[in-house]
Amino acid sequence: MTTPDRPRISLLGTSALLFEAPGAFDLPHQRRIWSLAATASTWPDIREAIPGITNLMLTFETPPRELDTLIAALNDGWDAAEGLAIGGREIRLPVTYGGEIGSSLQSVADHCGLSVDDLVSIHAAPLYTVFALGSHPGYCYLGGMDPRITMPRRQTPLQRSAGGSVSIGGSQTGVSASPGPSGWHAIGHTTWAFFDPSWPTPAALAPGDTVRFEIERVIR
Amino acid sequence: MPIELTDIERLAQILERSGVDAIEIEEPGQSLKLVMDTGARMAASPALAATAGPAADHSVIAKADVAGHFLAAHPWRDKPFVAPGQRIEAGAIVGLVKIGLLYAPIVAPATGIVDAVIAETGAMVGYGTPIVRIHPLGESSPIS
Amino acid sequence: MIEILSVTGPASVQDLGRFDQYRFGVGTSGAMDDVALRAGNILLGNDENAAGIEIPMMPFRLRFDRDTAFALTGAGVEAEIAGRTIPPWWRSQARAGDVLTIKAMPRGARCYLTVGGGIDVPTVLGSRSTQFRGEFGGLHGRPLQPGDILPCAASTATIGELGVEPADVTLARAAASADETIVRVVIAGEYDAYDEATHALFWRSSWKITPQSNRYGYRLQGPTVKPRAPIEKRSHGIVPGVIQIPPNGQPIIQMRDAQTSGGYPKIATVIRADLWRVGQARLGGKLRFEQTAYADALAAEAEMSAYLDRLRTNVRLVEEIRACR
Repeated sequence: MTTPDRPRISLLGTSALLFEAPGAFDLPHQRRIWSLAATASTWPDIREAIPGITNLMLTFETPPRELDTLIAALNDGWDAAEGLAIGGREIRLPVTYGGEIGSSLQSVADHCGLSVDDLVSIHAAPLYTVFALGSHPGYCYLGGMDPRITMPRRQTPLQRSAGGSVSIGGSQTGVSASPGPSGWHAIGHTTWAFFDPSWPTPAALAPGDTVRFEIERVIR
Repeated sequence: MPIELTDIERLAQILERSGVDAIEIEEPGQSLKLVMDTGARMAASPALAATAGPAADHSVIAKADVAGHFLAAHPWRDKPFVAPGQRIEAGAIVGLVKIGLLYAPIVAPATGIVDAVIAETGAMVGYGTPIVRIHPLGESSPIS
Repeated sequence: MIEILSVTGPASVQDLGRFDQYRFGVGTSGAMDDVALRAGNILLGNDENAAGIEIPMMPFRLRFDRDTAFALTGAGVEAEIAGRTIPPWWRSQARAGDVLTIKAMPRGARCYLTVGGGIDVPTVLGSRSTQFRGEFGGLHGRPLQPGDILPCAASTATIGELGVEPADVTLARAAASADETIVRVVIAGEYDAYDEATHALFWRSSWKITPQSNRYGYRLQGPTVKPRAPIEKRSHGIVPGVIQIPPNGQPIIQMRDAQTSGGYPKIATVIRADLWRVGQARLGGKLRFEQTAYADALAAEAEMSAYLDRLRTNVRLVEEIRACR
């Protein structure tokens, strides 16, 4: 994975600023991102501070005339950020590995030089932490995946991937909440509900929650 | 002798043909000034030009009802709204008056066949400026 | 009330979008040509965020079940109602029972129908825009179908016919040609991961908009754009306008219904002031990117706002004059 050795700040047009933290893709770094997000979301002109995987996107209410002040505040904020320990819920997700939806199970296993059973065991072993939400409504990016089952994203993203698919993209894993385009590799699926706009908080999971995959079935 | 609407239109036609720039007529109780020059035509006195009605040669005139620049076609279109010989319904758009960013429609007062587009595209027009001459087909009454 | 009679392609209810739900993975949605939607609402004296119908393909027909003031903005279309033609960027009055027929779309890619008071579907997470991925918002979170009835907010007094100068006339840019749209972009985080020759390729190419382009993203076809070394980034937030380059080297411009985050490298982002130009670029048409500094991108936004301000003032003046007559 390409990661900076110092914080990198870049523009997303005039709509947002992206802050990328250096360091490992792990929980201590992510906790500092959560802390920075909490601070930045109180700044004037910032609409939302949205954590990604060891990075943070700040969307603008109105784009600032000059950016230096904001950039300095981000760098200072990062230096000062101590890990925010968000206490969350633990969710158990029953997963059917393989089958029609988890159609990349074999190809990921082959790429990693593992049997399907080993891939499934390695994927289901950790207690994952929800690092961030993003991509589409209710989608959770999970941290804690074993690097042995890393698989780079697709050359050309697929136009349609099923809702509830459990996928691997690079060294990350996640579960989609609805069907749509994806550059990741689906290895299984779950029927759990992740999002409903009528709920008080529309997303079922939040950063800091933990997820345990339960192997319900493996279809070879 | 009171100045009739038909007189004004005939005067306008005469001026146009002769290339004379201006004419002013004053009579007790009314006055008329017609000024014509290439590229800019000003309205006839509003009080006399307000009502539409058939001229002596049985044509009706679609007139601008606001001051601005006349557009014979929408900027997105090559084709003008109307062309001579075209049949149009009463109320159909025959051109636009551009005022700032607004486009006000000029509508046909009667159903008929387009005789000529009198005004030049880009020209400054005013309330009552004649825009399109129409030969009415007499099926529906002119709308004022 | 509006009844949809016939639809071709994915027409949907959209307002300006949903802007503060990114933290739940909910993107903006909203009109692909936000300027056209605003202009239609300005013509009708609506709140600029009032919901309208985005129509990307013709023919399209609907019936007004009540007297309704409406406007058609955005793409240049051949439209008629009750035997009369509606010019582009125009407002008109429909009588109860009138059928609006939009036959063809010779110019542009999306037409917007706005109505006096706005389309009155429920607000979900702060917006009436349709969220296709999440299947909520708009009319039941899906494209419009024949037989759909759309409620309209109570309309005000009868309005007079009026047009306004289209945005692409007032905001016309030099060197644009008939089927090529020039789009200003700000370079993004991974720009330097590409070498000079590749940069030159990106800037000088006339990128073709493939048929796989839609509200999620515009997939472009042209020379292969590859970085110095393969890049795999950690998932990070993206916004509409971000131009990603997947490993196959063909750029994708993420649009209104795009994912809210991704990990493909980003070479540049379309400026907010030019997103509508992309939204009006047709399938099979061409795009060319013009490098723009942040300050110039802000200036372009100011120019766009100035156009809308002038529209607002001009239209208000007409109402005042009418009231005096």
